[in-house]
Order: sequence, then structure tokens, then C-alpha cells
Amino acid sequence: MTVFKTFLKVLNKNKFIVILYSVILVFFGFSNMQTKEENTNFVSSKPDLFLMNEDEEVGLTKHFIEYLDKNTNIKNIEKDQIDDALFYRDINYIIYIPKNFRQDLLNGKSPEIQVKSTGDYQASFAQLLLEKYIKVASIYQKMGFSEEEIIEQMNKTFDHKVNIEITSTLDTDRLENVVFYYNFLSYSMLAGCVYIVCLLLSSFKNEKIRKRTIISSMNDRKYNRILLFSNGLFALFLWLCYVVLSFVLLGDILLSTHGLLIVFNSFLFTICALTIAFVIGTIVSNKNAINGIVNVVALGSSFLCGAFVPMEWLPKFVLDIAHLLPSYWYIKTNELVKTIEKINIDTIRPILQNMGMLIVFIILMILITNFISHKKNRRN
Amino acid sequence: MHNFIYSLRILFKNKILIFWTFAFPILLGTFFYMAFSNIEDSEKLDRISIAIVENEAFENRQIVKEAFEALSDEEGLFNTIYVEEKKEAERCLANDEIIGYLFVEEEPKIVVKTSGINQTILKATMEEILQMESIIQVKIEKRMQESLEQGIAFDLTQDFFKQMAMDIRNAFEEEVSIKDISSSHLSYTMIEFYTLIAMACLYGGILGMTSINQILPNMSHTGKRISISPASKGKLILSSVCASFVTQLLGIFLLFLYTIFVLKVDYGNKFPFIILLAFVGSLAGLSLGIFIATCLKANDNLKTSVIIAVTMLGCFLSGMMGITMKYVIDKNVPILNKLNPASMITDGFYSLYYYDTFDRFYMNVGSLLLFALLLIGFSMYQLRRQTYDRI
Amino acid sequence: MQKTIEVKNLTKKYKTKKAVDHLSFSVLEGEILGLLGPNGSGKSTTINCILSLLHFDEGKITIFGKEMKPNAYTIKKEIGVVFQEVAVFDELTVIDNIDYFCGLYIKDKKIRKDYVMDAIKLVGLEEFTKYYPKQLSGGLLRRLNIACGISHKPKLIFFDEPTVAVDPQSRNNILDGIKTLREEGATIIYTTHYMEEVEQLCDRIIILDKGKVIASGTIDELKALSSIEEKISVEGIVLEKERIEEIRKWEYVEAVRYENSILVVTYKKGKNNLTDLMDYFREKKIEYNKIFSERPTLNDVFLELTGKELRDSYA
Repeated sequence: MTVFKTFLKVLNKNKFIVILYSVILVFFGFSNMQTKEENTNFVSSKPDLFLMNEDEEVGLTKHFIEYLDKNTNIKNIEKDQIDDALFYRDINYIIYIPKNFRQDLLNGKSPEIQVKSTGDYQASFAQLLLEKYIKVASIYQKMGFSEEEIIEQMNKTFDHKVNIEITSTLDTDRLENVVFYYNFLSYSMLAGCVYIVCLLLSSFKNEKIRKRTIISSMNDRKYNRILLFSNGLFALFLWLCYVVLSFVLLGDILLSTHGLLIVFNSFLFTICALTIAFVIGTIVSNKNAINGIVNVVALGSSFLCGAFVPMEWLPKFVLDIAHLLPSYWYIKTNELVKTIEKINIDTIRPILQNMGMLIVFIILMILITNFISHKKNRRN
Repeated sequence: MHNFIYSLRILFKNKILIFWTFAFPILLGTFFYMAFSNIEDSEKLDRISIAIVENEAFENRQIVKEAFEALSDEEGLFNTIYVEEKKEAERCLANDEIIGYLFVEEEPKIVVKTSGINQTILKATMEEILQMESIIQVKIEKRMQESLEQGIAFDLTQDFFKQMAMDIRNAFEEEVSIKDISSSHLSYTMIEFYTLIAMACLYGGILGMTSINQILPNMSHTGKRISISPASKGKLILSSVCASFVTQLLGIFLLFLYTIFVLKVDYGNKFPFIILLAFVGSLAGLSLGIFIATCLKANDNLKTSVIIAVTMLGCFLSGMMGITMKYVIDKNVPILNKLNPASMITDGFYSLYYYDTFDRFYMNVGSLLLFALLLIGFSMYQLRRQTYDRI
Repeated sequence: MQKTIEVKNLTKKYKTKKAVDHLSFSVLEGEILGLLGPNGSGKSTTINCILSLLHFDEGKITIFGKEMKPNAYTIKKEIGVVFQEVAVFDELTVIDNIDYFCGLYIKDKKIRKDYVMDAIKLVGLEEFTKYYPKQLSGGLLRRLNIACGISHKPKLIFFDEPTVAVDPQSRNNILDGIKTLREEGATIIYTTHYMEEVEQLCDRIIILDKGKVIASGTIDELKALSSIEEKISVEGIVLEKERIEEIRKWEYVEAVRYENSILVVTYKKGKNNLTDLMDYFREKKIEYNKIFSERPTLNDVFLELTGKELRDSYA
């Protein structure tokens, strides 16, 4: 009990760091949570647009703006902030409607339109929409229609819609949020849990204290077991906190089979993080060095394995390296769960394989810890 | 001078300090590079893989067929596979080989798995083709009407139809004069590297803190020894601070070299201004270190942790862990980033990179200077004291 | 003789607790003054106040006839301090550490070089000049600590427990070094709780307790304060309670202590005490291993004056 109490005291002194990592996690989880409605219908992506109209808002110009409004999100942004907004992808496209837009179209001239673009998918799509409007307008103009007729014909033309069928019945948006949160959790867990556990281990394994405990009446095995138990309890507690937090933030979707799989996966990862902490804690005893190592390990794993940046965006060579890290298998599982339509033996197999890899890592870490501490003990 | 040289040597010998100020930013930069090198490429429009079920109904839709053929050539938008059976297309969709397929019964139908931008583009293209058909329809009707009014018999030959379709298609392929006036510096992952520089600048504070602590009698044993010597306290502090500043600048310089030549980070081309900003940023970091060293009553470890935590929080707010964070803060809680030195540094680099004007840059440099002066001033007030209540 | 240091009415409070309480004493030129006192008696606080590291609530401190202030650089130049804690840079070698601290006093590089070598010789670290502090053993580290404090050849040196936890070889080296320094003309203030060192080294002793001087003078003067004249220790003896009570009632016996088979009897007057005791044991057929008589030590004086042992236990 004394050992456990001391453990809590050391923990209490370092609670600030744990809180910091947790706050970051919540902040991230929250910032990504633009509550989307539950949907299994097809929704067109709408690029975010900013419009600068220098023409009078009548006739074709008015129609053009209405057209854009229907097909894109026209955002309201302060003028001096539009460049920032474009840079940070808050908007994808800026269209400057020139003064003589309407006249040019009616005179069969192609108006010169200035745009700013981020050059990504959304921007390309916005450009597609813009070009289509001008082309269709000029075709009808060339046919000799009047302005009202052009507008009428265009409305008819744009009314032609295609039937679209969506096969997935998965609530991808909400699962997406869950996966985002849990992927990020791998960072908080690695950073917070490993840091604290290493710190505690180094406090307890500090050579002088170690000697003192060895000569004390407490059984060495029992002492180690209590330490292991305390650290495990701490990791478990942290995990539980994060899971409860996720329930608060994300809701009942976690109770679905998909959600539970992800939660279970995070449990495995927590144990894995704990064992990693033991390895680092046994190798390094300098408290200052621990801080550095933990940062490198946590940030490295998170960047290379897709906790911050979605996996599909990572270059292949990075993903190849990532195979060596447990975070990779953890995040991979989350991503897999997200796409699985129906859970059956076939679809769950790759998930089980990934979890198996995590368990392999856990065993490996335990073996390494034992090996090192054994060697260290003998040296002493 | 004596103290300056020895302070330098002491700083360089401290492995943990050197790790945080030299190696860690470089390591982190490498992680950024590895993680972000693909993002912007992957955002560019790739060819979209789709499938088309080649049944009789599809063969009959002349315009649809031709349009997709045109769109599936080498430079086309789509990477199209033609399948005989609907089942085959379903299988491809299930395996994520394609994002959707086209199936023509009476009307064309698109089947996709989920919503998304690629799916939207497929849908928009299909609609454009349908709309093209409708335009041809309108044109034919108009022609018929005209013929009727003029009393000429109108006869719809195959050739005429083809010609018409050609015209419309050409009209569609005609260039619309769009002038892209966006800045060529749009690579927003650069922000990551700017926050990295900001982080390195602020971590430099640890150097300042350490060197100050070494000469303060209430912080270290060596400090006790130093303060009983006849060397003037002001000169000692100044030379120690200078030594840590030099070390810090060297670290920043190495980081610049590494990011420019190895990671190919683009800082724009206003070189003197970049140096000015790095200098002022380092000064801000230094002042933070001195401030924490003098005003926080705690041991070295805790102080280092505080500097690291403050820096990390600042970098987080200025977009290190999610680029849009800085924008979100700027937009919603601008005051937060006005007080955050990491954000000032990041924003300074950003304004140099993205904007052509200097207003924003000077604004940032100015507020960094103010930040540094305030903290240093406050620290000086604390340091003026010569004796202590408690050691 | 001239007074090198004069402390008058020094009072220092930590919050409400008085660490130093109206303390007055002076140090004469060329002497080695021992500052004695149990843990927490205010020795280090007094030194820190003299050095102007701490600010104090009352009193006046003059060194070399001038008032000591934080910016009294001419005074500071002549002072050297060897702190209880090892105050060196882990990042610098032995020679660089000494050079660094010496450089704070002496600007001229040539002179400094000689001074540094002198200091190294004095503490006997010639073979370790290129070592880093982490590579040195505890005793050598202490010697380095001393070298850093005295390399600039100060006229007034403070030693704050320089020999705590030091092996005998290093301790002798340190003590010899201090004697050499005194021979070279330095005034020395030495705090410790090792009696033998004080008896060996100090000309004059001040005993502090609870921030006050409770006694001062030469060793002999202090010993004269004690009412004890002889102390007899008997080792390896088994005694019953009644026997102890019997001995306690004898004439001249001041006190009897019996612990762990060791009997210590102190006498107010020393006359045939040893033979009396041995006769008594023979008569009662009590066996013992060893018996010896000695003059009271400073520790006994201290015990009498303060009711406390100087050290928590004998090592």
C-alpha cells in the first residue's frame, strides 16, 4: 500500500502534463466535430466559394449568382481576410465577376473572369461549374435567344439531373469522427502514458532508492508486482477517461459493433503503450532524457502512422517504415473498421490480424523489458 | 568575455539542452516532411476510376458514349473500365477499385458507395452530358420551328445530327477566359515548417533560462559561488544571455539550412526579412526563458517543462498539429494569437511567403519586439535584487 | 590583532522563525575560527549573511574594516568560499572549472594560469586536470570544490563543512591544505561537526545553537567550562541495573551511561578513578574486553552545553 500511495503522490506531481495532452486531445476531437446530420443519401460536395461581384446584380449576372449559390457554398468573409481564407482552405475558390459580365455574355463575347484557386479537388470542381455556365450561356446566346429566354433555357438545361444510387448504409460521417478521435488518441496515449510511466519508473528505479528498497523488508517480487499493477492501473484509468470522453463527444455510435471494435482496439493499444513505456523506462533513467525520448517517440509514431495526417495521404515509403511501429497497426484497424459494411468472418479477419500484430508488439516489448532489466541486474 | 566563452562551452556541453534546441526541431521537421510531402499532391485532381456497364441501352446513347470516350483518353478526367455485366461493376465497387459506375437502363444511373468529391464530379459530368443532350434537343426544336416559319421542309438527317453534336461539343470544349490571379505561394503545409521555426525559437528560451540560472545564487550552487565574486552582476547576466542567444541563433541557422536544403521548405525570397524575423523570434524565445528563469520559483526541471509546455501550446494554437488551427483561432479568438509568440513568428513567415505587402510582417515583428521587451523588462526588475530572503 | 570580520547583532528571520538571533562575534586576522553547532543551528545562514547572499533583518557586518554590501567588490575580491554543496559545472573539466571561477576575480590570464596551477597542487588534483566532475569520486570532487573557492588566493576563506562524507585520505589532504593556506596568511572560518578536525585545526571556537553563541574561546578554555575531568569507557561488559545504580552513587561521578554493552562513566574530578572501577569489577567478578580513560572531548562539552550530540550518530 505504501508503494501504491507513493506512486499516487509522484503521479500527482506530474498531473499537469497528463492534463495538457488530454486537453489537446479534446480540443482536436471537438474541433473536428462539425455535427453533421445522419445521412445515407447522396450529398453533392459543394466547394466553398467567395464572390466579388462588380457587375450590377440583374439579369444574367443575378442568375449566375443564383446558380453558384445552388451549387456551391458562398461564404461571407471580411474582405481583408479572403486571402487568409484561401490559404487555409476555408474557401477553395474566389471568383471576381467583372463589371461588364452581363453585357459581354449578351454580346457574344466571353467575359474575362479573374479567379483565385487553391488548386485542389474542390477548386477544380468550382472551376468546372464556372466554365459550364459560361459555355451554356454562350451557346444559347449564339442561338439567338433573348436574355430572358437564355435564362429560361438554362434553367431547363440545368434541371437535367442524373439518378444516383448509394450502396453504403454506413453512417460514415459519424464513424469518421470516431476514427479521427481515436487515431488522435494514439498520440495522447503515447505521449501522456509513456511519459508518466517512465517518470514514475525512473523515480522508483533511481539507483539509491532502488538500493534502499532492495534492502528493505519488502519482497522484491512483490514490490515489482505492485509497481506494475500501479502503472497498469494508471494506464487503464487514462484509457477509461478517454473512452468516457469519447462517449461524451461522439455519442452512442460507440455502442455499435463498429464503435466497440474501435474501443477494444484502443484498449489493446493502451496496453501496448504501457509496455513501450516499460521498455523506455528500463533503458533510460535520466528524467530529462525521458522527456526528449517520449516526444520523439510519440510525435514520430503519430506523424509516420497517420494519427495527425490521414494514412492515405502519406507517401508510400513512410508507410513502409510505419509498419515497424505499433501505432500503424492500431490506426490501420480503425481505418478498416470505418469502411467495413457488414461485420462477418471475412471482413473481420484483417482486423483481427492487425490486433494480432499489436499483441505481438506487446509480447515483444515485455520480452525486451525483461531482457534488459535482467542484464542490468546482473551488471549490478 | 571570460564568462561569455565559458557560458558557451557550458551550454554546448549540455546534451539535453542541445537536444531540445538543435536536434529536436530537426527531427520534428523530418517527421513533418515525411508526413506532409504528399498532402498537397493528393489534393490535386487525380484521374477518377469508374466503370461503365456496356449494355445495349448504353450503346444507343450516342452522345453519352462519345463523351465518356473523350473523357477517358490519356489526359481525360476518368480512368474508365468497360464491363459487360452489372455484377462485375458491383464487384469492382465493393473492392474499392472504382468510386462508382454508370449503368444505363431507360435513363442513365450512377451507382456509388458514399458521397464525396470524386463522386460529385462523376455526377456533375454525367449531368453535363445530359445537359448537352438537352441543348441539342433545344437547338433541333428551334431549327424545326424556324423551318416551319419559313415554310421549308426540315429533315433530320444523320449527318445534320452529327454536325450539331459536334458544334455543341466544340462549344463545350472552347476555352473560357479565366485568369487565375492567385498567389503562387499557396502551399499551406509550409505553415508546419513555420511553426517549427517558431518552436525552435521559443525552445531557445531553455538556453537563456539555463545560463541565467547558473549565475543566480538562489537557483544553483554555482550561482552562489559566482555571486560572492567581485564580478559585476549586470555584466555576468549580459554575457551569459549573449552566449545563450548566440547558441540559439546557431541552432536556428542550422534548422534553416536543413529545412531549405534537405526538406526544400520555401520561405519566399525576401531574405533579409526572414533573417530579421528569425532574429526577433529568437529574442522573444530568449525573453520567455529569462522571464521564466527569474519569475518562477521552481527547480530547473520544472522550469524546462514549463517552457516546453508553453511552447507546445503556442505551436498547437498556431497550427503545428493541424494547420487550420491558426486560422480558426485568428478568425474566432484573434486576441489569443496576438498574445502568442509562436503565432506571431508563424504569421510573420506566412506573411512574407504569401503576401506581397509588408504591413502584416512589420506588425508581427513589432509585437514580437514588444513581447520580448516587456518580459525582459519585467525580468530585469526581478534581477536587480542583490540579496535574497532565502537561498 | 586586527579584526578581519566583525558581526554585530545579526538577526535573520525565515518568516517568523529566527534562524540567527542577535548574533555578535569577530574573527581575528590570521586565525582559524571554528564555527560549531548542531544541524539547523544557523551556521550556514550566518555565513550567507556575511557574504551578502541573504539579506538580514538586523545587525551590521564589517569585513576588513568596511561595511559588507552586495556591491562591495573590493571586499569580495579578497574572499573565498568553499560551500557545503559541490558548486561546479558538470560540463567543464577540473582545470576549466577552476579557471572559470578564478577568472571571475583575476583578469590577467598569465597570473591566472599560475594561480590555477597552485590551487590544483594545493588540493592534489594534478593527475585529474582533464577529468569531468562526474568522473571524480566524492573526495576528489570535494577537493575540486575547494580549489574553485580558493584559487584566487583570498585573504579570507570560509569553509562550510568541506569534509562531510569524505574519505580519510582526502580529508587529510584537505586539512593539510587549509593549514598551508593559513601559513600563507589567510584568515579562515571553518564550520564542521567533526570534533577531531576542530581540535586539530582551530585556534578559536564559537559554538552556536538556535542562532545564538553559547560559548566561545580556545579549545582549552572551552574544555575548562566543562565540569567533567575524566571519562572512562568500558567496552564489552554485561551489567545489571543495580550495579549501574551503585556506580552512579559514587563520589565524583557525574553521569553513567550504559548502552550496547558499553559503559561510559564521567567524573567531576580525576583521581584514581580507573583503578577504583577496575577493583570494583574484579570484586564483583564482572568481565569486560577493554577499559580506557580519557580527558573530556569537545563533544562532551558540547553535549553538556546544548544537551545535543554534535552529530546524529558516530560513523
